[in-house]
Amino acid sequence: MRLLGFRYLRRQRVAALVMIVAFSSMLFSITAFSLLGFYRGFSAYLGEGEGIIVIYDRNSRTPFTGLVPIYLAERIRAISGVRTMSPEAMAPCILKGESVFLRGIVPEDFSKLSQLTVMEGGMIGLEDLNFMVAGRNVAERLGLNLDDKVLVSGILTGRCLDLRVKGVFVSHTPMDDEILAPIYVGQWLRGADYAHATLIRVKIGIEVEGKTVSRSDVSRVVAEEASRQPSPHGEEAGLEPSQGLIMPRMAIGFRAEDIGIEEASSFMRGYLERYGVTRESLLTLSIAVFFFSSFSIALGYKVIIAQHRGELDVLRSLGASRRLLKADLLAKLLPWSIMASFIGTAAGLATLNMIQEWGYLRVLSHTVPIRADPLVIALNFSFAILLSAITILKSEVG
Amino acid sequence: MSSLALKSLLRSSGTASSIVAIALLVAILSSAQSITNYINFQAEMLGKLVYVGGPYLILSGNATSIADSRVDAGLASKLAGLSCVRWAVPQRIFEAELETSSGRRAIDVRCLEDARGFLERIGAYINGTTPGSWFEAGVGEVLARAYDVNLGDKLELVIGGKHVKLKIVGIFRSQTESDAELLALMETAHMLTGENGTVSIIEISLQPGVNSQEALSQIAQLLPENVRLVQTQQLKEFMQQMNAQTLAFLNLWSIAVYAVVAAASYIISTRLLAESSYELSMLRALGAEKRLILTLILTYTLTVSFIGSALGVALGTAGSQTFATMLRWFLPSVDLAPFIELWQVLQTIGLTVASSVLGCLYPALRFIHVGFMEKPL
Repeated sequence: MRLLGFRYLRRQRVAALVMIVAFSSMLFSITAFSLLGFYRGFSAYLGEGEGIIVIYDRNSRTPFTGLVPIYLAERIRAISGVRTMSPEAMAPCILKGESVFLRGIVPEDFSKLSQLTVMEGGMIGLEDLNFMVAGRNVAERLGLNLDDKVLVSGILTGRCLDLRVKGVFVSHTPMDDEILAPIYVGQWLRGADYAHATLIRVKIGIEVEGKTVSRSDVSRVVAEEASRQPSPHGEEAGLEPSQGLIMPRMAIGFRAEDIGIEEASSFMRGYLERYGVTRESLLTLSIAVFFFSSFSIALGYKVIIAQHRGELDVLRSLGASRRLLKADLLAKLLPWSIMASFIGTAAGLATLNMIQEWGYLRVLSHTVPIRADPLVIALNFSFAILLSAITILKSEVG
Repeated sequence: MSSLALKSLLRSSGTASSIVAIALLVAILSSAQSITNYINFQAEMLGKLVYVGGPYLILSGNATSIADSRVDAGLASKLAGLSCVRWAVPQRIFEAELETSSGRRAIDVRCLEDARGFLERIGAYINGTTPGSWFEAGVGEVLARAYDVNLGDKLELVIGGKHVKLKIVGIFRSQTESDAELLALMETAHMLTGENGTVSIIEISLQPGVNSQEALSQIAQLLPENVRLVQTQQLKEFMQQMNAQTLAFLNLWSIAVYAVVAAASYIISTRLLAESSYELSMLRALGAEKRLILTLILTYTLTVSFIGSALGVALGTAGSQTFATMLRWFLPSVDLAPFIELWQVLQTIGLTVASSVLGCLYPALRFIHVGFMEKPL
């Protein structure tokens, strides 16, 4: 007996099932895409490229508030094979009444590590005393235009100053939500002295005379400097004047165990893991959301079967076996489930993009990047199929 | 009759699974809320570790920058007369062009009545002395290095076509924004800008130990309408905005959860009507009005969604707390203690019930508009 050609399921009733599967898939997609987007964006915050390591303060509770001796940058620069390094001073600020992160940089060094495209105006130089460049997102959000002069207040210290917008840049990274200024501006607003930066990024892995600089080479230099204890705190350490560096240069003592050296992505992941946030845990949370809503999907299937009890009983009395009826229901409802799952995923992505456009998808003042993760899509379809199959095969038919 | 009918509906086999379906959806929401509450609480606690004692600024109301601001200079002496004010320093800050060998460069000039007192307050070190007359100036170390300015140099400043030569009598390091500024006396500002009687800002500091709320309200009474008082260190506002960003997303995300609740409620009421069609049609045949049938369906949905949401809040909160405890077993460094507030419980229950009612309306209305004789018995 073949039932495939026999259309006994009413479309209006199937629509209710499609609706609940679509809404559940949408909820799963929104949860998974946003959580994984946050994780991905945060991990890539200091650079995704291989060979970028970060020298940071182990004792800091956040990646934005640590302090490391800035003179280490010059010692590391002296290692043969290290070509690029960037000391950075992060300062959480208030600008036009909105929270924003200001990153103090040495522009020449920074642009070697991070690819920025200046959309309007120009890039700052270290001697641009009261200038900044704004990331595209922050410029749009706060209505910053070229040559605007704005008041920036640091929140970790009672400092505020006027900065003029020299340019607007785009990097297609979370940096688009930040403003960049010369490093000493970051130090003032952070409340740090000229001897400290929040972190130092170093590009390693460059081969010189058959030898590649590794993380251990950098660690060795840091350990040597720590044991040297160059001078009492804050005293000038006879550093040679370097070209272009206009702020006072100081060497201070530090303990090697306070300084961490990690790959950029591991460094950021390390902070997330301190709070139990891993890619796996976020994915598990998203799956839990789907399974919690799956009870409603199972209910949807039961309702479809209850609504067609009359038709199914007639088919049973005509000789259709339970197995045949279940197989037929599965064959007829599965495509609807897959379609609903697809609609839900697409709607989830569209909703997230809309939320992002409205500026509501931000964590720590950085826009969460949204990307259609193939794993999430595959999981969504798999769960929808699995749930449909289990519910129909376990239900009482006829 | 209606209470009996409701009892028979509630005793139907699908009620328990309907309650569980709603409870699980609400559990998703309340667990997310409880975890977010803890994260926001931690952020606030972290913010409290930072000492917030920065000075206050008085700026003109519409100014977006210090350079744009104009405040009556006489206000400073009135403020200084208040017992709660430790000091009130009027400052004139403006942009001028500095003639250098490589051309003109824009710099900020800060002019004060007492340059020495200002440098002492910001803990500056100085090589040389502080300006003592209108043609003298001090220069910040960063500015001095950037434009190769030395002690004893005569700098030519240009503002609005007016040229003035200032002698550099001191180079200072304060590790503040003043290191990139030229520091001069207020007389110099009058000479350069020709403006008298107005300043850019008045920086004030409160006496130690005074109640800041009371002090600020005292100060506010003295301020004219066109000026505003801002705290330089706005940590509280920053943390509030950080938390608001998370909550804004959570609120939008919860709309998706309530949409699933509404869809689930649609399914639940459809199932109820399919399974209890006989009883409801019988009621109609016995003379029950449409309104009674609608009330019965709505009451059933309200009851199911209320029990489901209360159960869901409990399940979600307890579940997230259990999850946090288990996480601590595997990752001892993780410190997570989710909690939920009473108003959130009430809000969740209220919104769940509202979404459920919304979801059940269409099947309920469709059911009562079909004549009882058309319904299968």
